[in-house]
Amino acid sequence: MAYKWGMAVDLDRCTGCEACVIACGAENNIPTVGPTEAARGRAMPWIRVERYWEGEFPDVRLKFRPVLCQQCDNAPCEPVCPTYASHHTEDGLNAQVYNRCIGTRYCANACPYTVRFFNFFNPTWDKPLHLQLNPDVSVREVGVAEKCTFCVQRINAAKTEARADGTNIKDGDLQTACAQSCPARAIVFGDLNDPDSEVSRLSRSPRGSLLLEEVGTKPKVTYLSRQSQA
Amino acid sequence: MSGVYALFADPDAAERAVEALRAQGLGTDEITIISAQPYESYAFSHTGGSSSWMFRVAAAGGTVGLACAFALTSLTQRAWPINTGGMPIVALWTNLIIMFEMTMLGAVLSTVGTLLWSTGLPRRRPAFYDPAVSTGAILVGVEQPKHASPVLATTLARAGGQVKTLA
Amino acid sequence: MSQTVDPITDDLLRPVLRTSPRFWLTVAVLGLIVAAGAGAWIYQLYYGFGVTGIRWPIFWAVYVTNFVFWIGISHAGTLISAILRLMDAEWRRPVTRCAEAITVFALMIGGMFPIIHLGRPWHFFWLIPYPNQRGLWPNFRSPLVWDFLAITTYLIGSVLFLALPMIPDFALLRDRTTGWRRRVYGTLALGWRGTTIEWQRLETAMSIMAVVILPVAVSVHTIVSFDFSMAPVPMWHSTIFGPYFVAGAIFSGVAALILAMALLRRFLELGAYLRPLHFENLGKLLLLMSLVWSYFVFSERLTIWYGNDPAEMAVFRTTQEGSFAPLYWTMVVCNFIVPFALLAPKRTRTTISGCVAASVAVLVGMWLERFLIIVPSLGHKHLPYSWATYRPQPVEIVITIATFAAMTLFYVLFAKFVPIISIWELKVGRQPAPAAVDLDVRPEAMGVRR
Repeated sequence: MAYKWGMAVDLDRCTGCEACVIACGAENNIPTVGPTEAARGRAMPWIRVERYWEGEFPDVRLKFRPVLCQQCDNAPCEPVCPTYASHHTEDGLNAQVYNRCIGTRYCANACPYTVRFFNFFNPTWDKPLHLQLNPDVSVREVGVAEKCTFCVQRINAAKTEARADGTNIKDGDLQTACAQSCPARAIVFGDLNDPDSEVSRLSRSPRGSLLLEEVGTKPKVTYLSRQSQA
Repeated sequence: MSGVYALFADPDAAERAVEALRAQGLGTDEITIISAQPYESYAFSHTGGSSSWMFRVAAAGGTVGLACAFALTSLTQRAWPINTGGMPIVALWTNLIIMFEMTMLGAVLSTVGTLLWSTGLPRRRPAFYDPAVSTGAILVGVEQPKHASPVLATTLARAGGQVKTLA
Repeated sequence: MSQTVDPITDDLLRPVLRTSPRFWLTVAVLGLIVAAGAGAWIYQLYYGFGVTGIRWPIFWAVYVTNFVFWIGISHAGTLISAILRLMDAEWRRPVTRCAEAITVFALMIGGMFPIIHLGRPWHFFWLIPYPNQRGLWPNFRSPLVWDFLAITTYLIGSVLFLALPMIPDFALLRDRTTGWRRRVYGTLALGWRGTTIEWQRLETAMSIMAVVILPVAVSVHTIVSFDFSMAPVPMWHSTIFGPYFVAGAIFSGVAALILAMALLRRFLELGAYLRPLHFENLGKLLLLMSLVWSYFVFSERLTIWYGNDPAEMAVFRTTQEGSFAPLYWTMVVCNFIVPFALLAPKRTRTTISGCVAASVAVLVGMWLERFLIIVPSLGHKHLPYSWATYRPQPVEIVITIATFAAMTLFYVLFAKFVPIISIWELKVGRQPAPAAVDLDVRPEAMGVRR
């Protein structure tokens, strides 16, 4: 059976440390745009930690939530792309093909989670940071849209190895960069088609809910609600 | 190109000239009438038969456009079946838009095509024309007459026009 | 035969045959502004798209506003030419070519914007469906591909709709000019003589085109509206967008036509042909469209306000009382209050300046309307963390101004090259009337001078 990659994010465990953001950026060659451009809204965090303040001082509470591409089964970003750069794979991922993107940015507008980003300039890495680039991931040029891919390069590598071994990918063999780096293990990644995988188990949790479920995008990331009131 | 023609100052005179030529036994397709504007309300304007067949050609052109659009969308969608948002591979609702536009384009192009074909345009200017037409005169004449020119010339002159002959 | 005294032809050919220094000055100034716009685009291509004000999450702003605005303006010609032609409304005769020219040039300018706003515009041709070694066809499910086909079809149709009735006027010019002009007009006239067959076929072709181009025009702006309504963005995903945009397009198109006619009347001395009657009739149409537009806006906003959906209300509030309120209420004044005040009372409607003032207000209001559909919604999507503001940058402003200059420039050049009022069509309207003509039409409408 084909895989169906999904994720569970436990908001009770998430501390808002943003290690996932850094790891994702390192793994996927996301350029840093600098403070001026970031202030102008050009930063490209494929996973971001949304932070909301609730209440009035002194009863202020802080809520945060990591938001990344939900790899929607009913993705609004896919039918609108005129060049099929955004489409759905058999593994249930929303793929972004940089070579086909002409930069209409319709996909970014259509995404209700706004997890799609656009390269406003050609990315640069000051030496020696260019040595840190991941050779498994392409570097995108100006005018191209990009977003979280569930570390598809790692998925493909794991699939190749599993096929060489003649088996399937076992739960836990494969981790996205964000799941790998989270110190609280708040992010869990795996195969939703495997009923015994940890992500399947967590997606059935009574604390689980889908983000913007009412929009009807059928996202594949389950958010486990925060229980503690602190 | 040879022929004889006369210039008339107003459409009523031209109409009388045409009737005089018809009385001489000339058929409608032998008489050439040239003017700088169409005179719909006069009988001499309606010589070429009905043009309603152009509507039918336009409809046919539209049908061709429709078929092309249907083929273009469904065949290409089936050739590279790519899942976008769970929509069907051949999505008829959206393909209808493409089919509509190409139907209209087919109708437009076939109309222009039949216009050019049935009028023989573009064409290097043939000799049977008089620039006086552009000042408002109406030219009534016969190109390559079968009968003797003097007879026609007299008829046209009697109808009130300035007669000119092309050798 | 000596040249007959033909004041109509003389008046209408004069702008073509005689050139004043003012013409060259106008062309030079407009050309400079257009060049500045081209320079701005080259600057954007060289330094990267980031020189614009576009940002996460407002990925469409001034360029797409301009796109929708100009495609909307292009509905002027179709309405006047096609609908009035099909209704046998005689007062359309001096107005058809002005209107059709607006359509063609507005489409050409509007059609540039999908290319200007692309991240990688050098690949724009990937939208053209032709067999290629990339092995891919465009995604026919995407509204942008529908845009491409619709605008191409409408452009081809409009160019032909404009060009066909120009053939007899080219023949007229061929016979009235000498030298290189005669050769050019002679080629363009395609050997037209004016035989009865040619006239019959031409008029039938025009009738068919009028019938065909109307649904195309309606479909074009509907499809442009689909660029927005197909996305689940608050206050975009609305079923009213199709008719709403078409009404808005006709609205802005009529306003542009009134303005263009007023300028032609003034600068080409066509006061005997573009008369207060024409402005009054178009003014009535403008008032009607203002009411239709207001009706659609009211319908939409009432539905949203009544439903009180949090995501939609966030956008609603930002336009009604939030940061976009000044622009929003300016738009309401420009699109509803000013046209109503100027065009409902007969006293101001029958003056040309009343109609022109209303038209200018409408053009400003409609540009704002496009902007206010796009930017507030994108700046207030479902997740509040992503809310943001947008500020246009000099590149976008320069290019916007340059498109207005380009439109004017195209128009000025067109009026220099071709008589802006269709001479033969005008003369047909002034033919002595046997029973076939509608006797209810006032003689003034037929152009008979009193």
